Amino acid sequence: MSKLKERMSGIGEFMSQPDDQLIICRCEEITKGEIRKAVHDGMFTMTEIRRYLRTGMGLCQGLTCASMVKRIVARELLISSMELEPAVSRAPMRPVEMKIFGNEEKEVK
Amino acid sequence: MERYDLIVAGAGPAGLSAAIEAAKRGLRVIVFDENEKPGGQLFKQIHKFFGSKEDKAKIRGFKIGKDLLEEANKCGVEVVLNAIVIGLYLDKEVTVKIGDGIQHFKGDTLIVATGASENMVTFDGWTLPGVIGAGAAQTMMNLHHLKPGNRILMLGSGNVGLVVSFQLMQAGCEVVALVDAAPKVGGYGVHASKIARCGVPFYLSHTIIKAEGEQFVNGVIIGEVDSSWEMISGTQKHFDVDTICLAVGLSPMSQLLKMAGCHMKDTPGGYIPECDEKGATSVPGIFVAGDVSGIEEASSAMIEGRISGIAAAEYLGFIDKEELKKSIEKQEKALISLREGMFAPENRGRSIKKTEEGIDVSINLLKKGYIEETEIERFPGFTKCKGVHPVIECTQNIPCNPCQEACVKKCIKIGEKITSLPAIDETKECIGCGMCVASCSGQAIFLVNEEYEQGYAAITLPYEFLPLPEVGSQGKALDRSGKEICAAKIIDVKTKKAFDYTHLITMKVPADMSRKARFFVNSRRCEDE
Amino acid sequence: MGNCADVVIIGSGIIGNSTAYYLAKQGCSVIVLEKSNHIGNGGSSRNGGGVRQSGRDIRELPLAMYGVKNLWPTLSEELEMDVEYYQEGNLRLGKTDEHINILQGLTDKAVSSGLDVQMIDGFRAKEICPYLSDEVIGASWCPTDGHANPMLATLAYYRKARQLGVRFITGEDAVEIRKIRGKARQVVTSKTIYEGETIILAAGYDSRKIASTTGIDIPMTQAALEVLVTEAQAPMFYQMLGTAKADFYGHQSTHGSFVFGGSSGYEDMNKDNGMPVTTSITASCICRGIMKYFPCLEDVKIVRVWAGWIDVCVDHVPVISKVEEVPGLILACAFSGHGFGIAPTVGTLLSQLVVGEETVLDISELRYDRFRAKI
Repeated sequence: MSKLKERMSGIGEFMSQPDDQLIICRCEEITKGEIRKAVHDGMFTMTEIRRYLRTGMGLCQGLTCASMVKRIVARELLISSMELEPAVSRAPMRPVEMKIFGNEEKEVK
Repeated sequence: MERYDLIVAGAGPAGLSAAIEAAKRGLRVIVFDENEKPGGQLFKQIHKFFGSKEDKAKIRGFKIGKDLLEEANKCGVEVVLNAIVIGLYLDKEVTVKIGDGIQHFKGDTLIVATGASENMVTFDGWTLPGVIGAGAAQTMMNLHHLKPGNRILMLGSGNVGLVVSFQLMQAGCEVVALVDAAPKVGGYGVHASKIARCGVPFYLSHTIIKAEGEQFVNGVIIGEVDSSWEMISGTQKHFDVDTICLAVGLSPMSQLLKMAGCHMKDTPGGYIPECDEKGATSVPGIFVAGDVSGIEEASSAMIEGRISGIAAAEYLGFIDKEELKKSIEKQEKALISLREGMFAPENRGRSIKKTEEGIDVSINLLKKGYIEETEIERFPGFTKCKGVHPVIECTQNIPCNPCQEACVKKCIKIGEKITSLPAIDETKECIGCGMCVASCSGQAIFLVNEEYEQGYAAITLPYEFLPLPEVGSQGKALDRSGKEICAAKIIDVKTKKAFDYTHLITMKVPADMSRKARFFVNSRRCEDE
Repeated sequence: MGNCADVVIIGSGIIGNSTAYYLAKQGCSVIVLEKSNHIGNGGSSRNGGGVRQSGRDIRELPLAMYGVKNLWPTLSEELEMDVEYYQEGNLRLGKTDEHINILQGLTDKAVSSGLDVQMIDGFRAKEICPYLSDEVIGASWCPTDGHANPMLATLAYYRKARQLGVRFITGEDAVEIRKIRGKARQVVTSKTIYEGETIILAAGYDSRKIASTTGIDIPMTQAALEVLVTEAQAPMFYQMLGTAKADFYGHQSTHGSFVFGGSSGYEDMNKDNGMPVTTSITASCICRGIMKYFPCLEDVKIVRVWAGWIDVCVDHVPVISKVEEVPGLILACAFSGHGFGIAPTVGTLLSQLVVGEETVLDISELRYDRFRAKI
């Protein structure tokens, strides 16, 4: 069974590393160690990591950290980065103020 | 609801080219771009482009952007700036933030040409102020006229890292080192040579260990890595810097396509939509063009844009399949020729030992950024002639031929295959006009006269820094590695409209330096060091 | 690793995960099957996080009250993970007389069920939450309501259950529940067969399709709602919010971002492309709704909008019940958009049903066979 799907998979124990303090997701200030630990808590997909830690949920919506988080998670799972799903994409593509978002032009300009 | 034949997201080279081709065929087109200036990456490219005449070779990026916009306007394309496409929904509807509100638009076809964003790498201290992307530095300098810093370390030896390093120097910054973990330079050799001869040291097989500083960057430590990327102890080097530029690749900004439900594929080069050779994605009517479908150059982006614009026109019945085939064929041929040569996609990662002509490539160029003097003689751009003659130090097969067109006397020959190395035809007579020197986008052509005077040679080189040296000023000549080798005196400074801001300076050096001297610095600068 | 266990649970949302946890605590062996590649990818990760008692149907109100009294306050401690539970009350706001009438009706119903809800005027509402618009003339106020973080709560149950030995398998699509000699024993997936003494079906909307393989129908439809998330703000207020006419609902999270849900009015009919997708009009509509009540938030930036389905049962309360016609099968689905707040209670109840304990609450009103024609 594919490693990703069987959640009891043996991926080894969590061993702390010297660069665990390195910040990876700048917007939410999540460190490499937190990401690695999350994998050992059972978070095996990018979506679960994102919901668990908030990586990729900040202002830049993952533009900066997504591929770095992916590499770290893949390495912890002992798989290749390509086997993990990439980040989600949600509107709005750039942050928009509530009053602008609510100001919909009803008539043709 | 405003319905257009074609909505284009992104007014960069791909988006504008697509809009133009579609509009020329009768479509009602609107283009949205989030920036205040159109042209995408073009508006901050101040260097001359490579390629052939059709690819706008020799023309500076921002001028290509301006020309594209003019052409788009002439064709009746609506270009809306400061307009962010914030969502792409079912039924090919987009919402666009314009001014202080949101507007809805629908397109019978949509072309997403939203380009790419910069990658980051992490190292101890990477979140300190002063660590910026090379593209961001370029925007600061070329758009906002701000120096990103004073003493800069550039990480990344691809074309972006090399080109931006040169532009940083043009802006008055000092580039203290160019670093790359790879064992060889990733970008064009001529871009590397441009900065090597100004004295920028190359540190291949090195990575950044730490960015120092409390509130902001004030230093950096690099170290050498072996072939398994492990740090070699005892190789640490320290530099005082206030800025670290990261030129470590780009990733397509394909979020709109993912949102629209296009089938995507995750590749080492980024997350891109599956599409055919016309840019059609898995959602009927949605096309892609440019970096968003895979990182290449602006020249490829323009061609891909044209192809998808033509494809959209056919999709909507504005042209028939015959015309589609004819128009696309021409574009595809141009695209193929752009994707040839040493830097072709299929050669990525491969170690190329010989040029197409069978000449051994310069190993030093790839390791240190400059050709060794002994290596230069191998190449057809190097000849020994009497009197003034061009010396072309272009040693890699890249699709580019402005030098051939530039010479009225036909001294320079490339031929049909534009990846061929330029060769000097010794039977033709050089008149020393300097057009070739100014036309070479890689600044790799020099005019040399070994018999200028008894015991002296004259070397004409391209010069794109301010202030220009004055005729008569004394200084030092630097060799290809940026080392001072002899005294030099400026005997001529030429500025012509046809040179397009590539000034030509001619320096007098001892005759035995004629094969080495390739750059000039004023005495004043030497005294400061 | 064998494919047999005491209990096989279909669905790794918060219902499935909490049940797995409580069962594991009781010493049962459990396998949880999840169709998608992600734990809790359905409604559990796409909801507003309300932990409320007010505004609930009388049939499910006891479940909500039980959870708020006995389970939510110590959940973070028990699961050794902060699920960001706040019990700062629930304000349902009104600006017009019509709103006040609606709220009064809801309040009266709640009071008669023994819940502490009261009507308050605009001044009192602003005392509780100073950021309200001056146009608010009144509200219903339930001090014991609150909210929590649904993504963390779902994953917290998963994490603890996994630690206790529950086997979770993702990418495992249950297509049939099979009776063996009259008893539901097998879950057939597209890959293999799992077997259990008890089978719990907690697969959201898909439960209907899967239940039909045992001859049971759960009358439910889907409606698509959307939620906007803002950038982080300094702490402003932690009450759960809503309005009389359901313009929006939401709260400020521990992170500081506001999470506001709502709809455009077309939620019953919204299209999708296989996954919930946002529409081009809903987010703007929710923004306008919010700004009517919180004009101070007009400059706050929205960073993303996501969509999710709610599984709406015909009578708007879930099906939580053993199925006597199909011995061994327990249903827990059709939570109609308010399953999150009662999830710990439901997990507890289901674990009791499995091991044969008397359930702490009477859930006979939520039986699978309660549905009758109108005449």
